[in-house]
Amino acid sequence: MLKDVSFGQYYPVKSFVHGLDPRLKILFLIGFIVAIFLAKEFLALGICAAVLFAAILFSRVPIGKVLRAVRGILFLVLFTAAINIFFYQGERVYWNGPAVLLQWGIFRVTQAGIVFSAFLVVRLVLLVVCSSMLTYTTTPVALTDGIESLLTPLKWIRFPVHELALIMSIALRFIPILLDETERIMNAQKARGADIGSGGPIRRVRAIVPVLIPLLLSAFRRADELGDAMDARCYSGGKKRTKYKKLRFSWRDLVGVLLLAGVIAGVVLMRFYPVFPL
Amino acid sequence: MRIVTEHLSYIYNERSPFATRALDDVSLTVEEGEFFGIIGHTGSGKSTFVQHLNGLLRLPSALKRRAKRGDTVLTVGEFDLADRKTDLRALRRKVGMVFQYPENQLFAETVFDDVAFGYKNFADGKPSQEETEAAVRDALTTVGLDYEAVKEVSPFELSGGQKRRVAIAGVIVTKPELLVLDEPAAGLDPLGKQEIMELLHTLHSSWCKTVVIVSHDMDEIAENCTRVAVFAEGRVKYVLPPRELFKRTEELLALGLDVPLTAKLTLALKKRGVEIDSDFTLEDFAEKVLARRRTC
Repeated sequence: MLKDVSFGQYYPVKSFVHGLDPRLKILFLIGFIVAIFLAKEFLALGICAAVLFAAILFSRVPIGKVLRAVRGILFLVLFTAAINIFFYQGERVYWNGPAVLLQWGIFRVTQAGIVFSAFLVVRLVLLVVCSSMLTYTTTPVALTDGIESLLTPLKWIRFPVHELALIMSIALRFIPILLDETERIMNAQKARGADIGSGGPIRRVRAIVPVLIPLLLSAFRRADELGDAMDARCYSGGKKRTKYKKLRFSWRDLVGVLLLAGVIAGVVLMRFYPVFPL
Repeated sequence: MRIVTEHLSYIYNERSPFATRALDDVSLTVEEGEFFGIIGHTGSGKSTFVQHLNGLLRLPSALKRRAKRGDTVLTVGEFDLADRKTDLRALRRKVGMVFQYPENQLFAETVFDDVAFGYKNFADGKPSQEETEAAVRDALTTVGLDYEAVKEVSPFELSGGQKRRVAIAGVIVTKPELLVLDEPAAGLDPLGKQEIMELLHTLHSSWCKTVVIVSHDMDEIAENCTRVAVFAEGRVKYVLPPRELFKRTEELLALGLDVPLTAKLTLALKKRGVEIDSDFTLEDFAEKVLARRRTC
């Protein structure tokens, strides 16, 4: 059950995308998100979607797995779509027929509303898919290495970059452990007749207590033990530490840079010189 | 409760790169009244098997099973777990499950509340205060704790061994007919281990007619079990009484499993030409050796 949580999980295969420099992937993600937000028309989003689709194909992560990440925000997507369909105030006509298709009290379904909410849905889905692609194709370790490397300039203002990266990688490392632990405790309480995940909201919240308390206790215990273990091995912060895996920029990265920089530039440009404006 | 399994297989994370076959065509029967042992390496499928016994892991639906050619059978007492409509609550009331390090599942403010948790969950309707008290008192006394002394104490203030007792009390409070324990003595000192095993024997002769115990400790298994199943790579290698099983000391060692001290000694003596036929409990072994010395 908990193992179905797929958002943010690494998918272990070898591929072009997996092999890219994590720093690059992070920068791309940021660039991509900016591009998606700047996009003002379907064509621009379409280009983003096409590039993303190509990236998925090259990464050899199954499409079903990627779409499962969308399932997590399905409610949000539907909610956004509904709000916009009913309340969007535009009057533009996109196809033959009345601009206002339905009017009922304050609810108003217009052609423009339908088009606009479709646009929002596509945008949301793209956002989730591209960020989950980063985590699917990058190991948590590579990810934090990348972030640490990107944040290096902040060291000049005495920002504890290394410590931050360490905290992140420990947190990421502990997610599967804690998920396992949750499952174990849930099983133990289910075996004692706990009714988890059914009944009304109040019963549900009450049913969480027998799981949450042991889980918190075990999290604290683990944190303590980890701290002791690091201490025992004389771990001491960022200074003079060397890396086991050095990040290197390779030819694939160059290919990636050129390709994606082109797309992002194109999409940004389309904001100022729209082709088919909404 | 009689446990019957036939052709039971289980795959974790099916159809993903993480897929691992935890159980592979497991068939075995545990008779009512047995003190049944399960041994095997970590990852041999012991825990996965045991979790099937009270429906924490389910068989795939009948439809999927037919598609996969399997004719899996899994019944625990009168409950048919291959049937999706089985009343899991009724099943779990009768099948107590003590997980590894059960003290990690304690959560309530007082020992009383924690032990009463299972009782209240399984009761039909709301049990009266007297009924609950009687059941909790029974359970705590059975595990060897002083009811009056511990009932108002926070479970987190107790010692490790006491915590484990409270956790076990929280499982047996419904008087299950089948008690399944995963490494009940792990992490305890020798005295603590012995006390837990004694407790299990007490339970076996009173409430829980059938006991299934998963263990790494071969001495524990040799001393206590009527029969033992050996799991390796998701399959059942042997199902034998300890007396028969530990005669195969060399095969067990080849599987990477440990054997009881007595079995090691038997093997060493055999290599020097001395045959000792014991049931591998320490007492019997010592007696047989003494008897042997007298005849020489």
